[in-house]
Amino acid sequence: MIAQLLLTALLTLVLVYAWSAHRTVPIIGLLASGAALAGLYFVWVQEHATALAALVGIGRGSDLIVYIWVVISLLIMLNLHLKLRLQLDMITRLARAVALDRAKESRRETGPPRKRRPVMLGRKPEVPPIELQAKK
Amino acid sequence: MTGRIRNPWVVVAAYNEAPMVGSVVSGIRRAGYAVVVVDDGSDDRTGDLALLAGAVVVRHPINLGQGAALQTGIDYALEQRADALVTFDADGQHSPAAIAALLAAIEQPGIDFALGSRFLTGATANLPMSRRILLSAALWFTRASTGLPVTDTHNGLRAMTARGARAISLRQYRMAHASEILHQIAQSRLRFVEVPVNIEYSVYSLGKGQRITDALTILIDLFARRLYR
Repeated sequence: MIAQLLLTALLTLVLVYAWSAHRTVPIIGLLASGAALAGLYFVWVQEHATALAALVGIGRGSDLIVYIWVVISLLIMLNLHLKLRLQLDMITRLARAVALDRAKESRRETGPPRKRRPVMLGRKPEVPPIELQAKK
Repeated sequence: MTGRIRNPWVVVAAYNEAPMVGSVVSGIRRAGYAVVVVDDGSDDRTGDLALLAGAVVVRHPINLGQGAALQTGIDYALEQRADALVTFDADGQHSPAAIAALLAAIEQPGIDFALGSRFLTGATANLPMSRRILLSAALWFTRASTGLPVTDTHNGLRAMTARGARAISLRQYRMAHASEILHQIAQSRLRFVEVPVNIEYSVYSLGKGQRITDALTILIDLFARRLYR
């Protein structure tokens, strides 16, 4: 009974996490919710867990619950990985904005660079370009 | 030739390219083009050497990746009211003479992108076999995912009009940006042409080029991008 209550509390936390993840990474939220709900069901209806475990060749219902827990952990890891990518995305945008601002500032201080007249524009390409269109 | 292009800018993304960036910028300046070099957080003197050679230098405070550097350069050139942009590699494998051919291609009415291709008639002949296999796989993937009948997918030499440049918003900051540009061209429905360009492979440029493991990274980046908003 103690183990059941403990697992229920943990799986409920996973459900809350899945709900919050759903807003940014819908697929992770959906899969984690499904896995957590399946876990909750099997924690309280163990005979079904045992029957399903036997059906898929795992052996014991408790092993099935452990496997479900492993799947949830992997999904959470994937979500963290995607969140890191999102953070990197934001850092990149910030760093690019800083670089452009600094370039504008230094340009204001030094004035625009001397421009040369393009000398190659009038020359026709040696091999004509080939026009292509996207498949509809 | 209508001469519609008045203010072309060449965008060069550079990371630790001190051995080559000076001669690359000099070549572009000699050809008569304004050039912005985006120093992508280099550890060496890339930015200083580009500045000495006559480029405008925008410095990323940290290394962000080639895609991010190109987007910074594109944004900068658009702020300078560029009406045409050319992306150009910093490792010396591109010839400044190709810039005129690319710009001439986008001067045709209704054309917004000119993509350099190594595989068209008159283009590169000394492509190493390993690079050819890698590029063939990338080509197959891009054709399948975008529907664009291109002949070269990861060629850094390309020109675009200001309208084309505004349709591009790179979110793939590492090497997958080349595929992303083609995806965005396909989505924008803007027209493009391919222009044969010669690539000069040297020991230096091959050492900086992409490897088989990079292809895997590109695939993971493209897939991960589709998972989150």
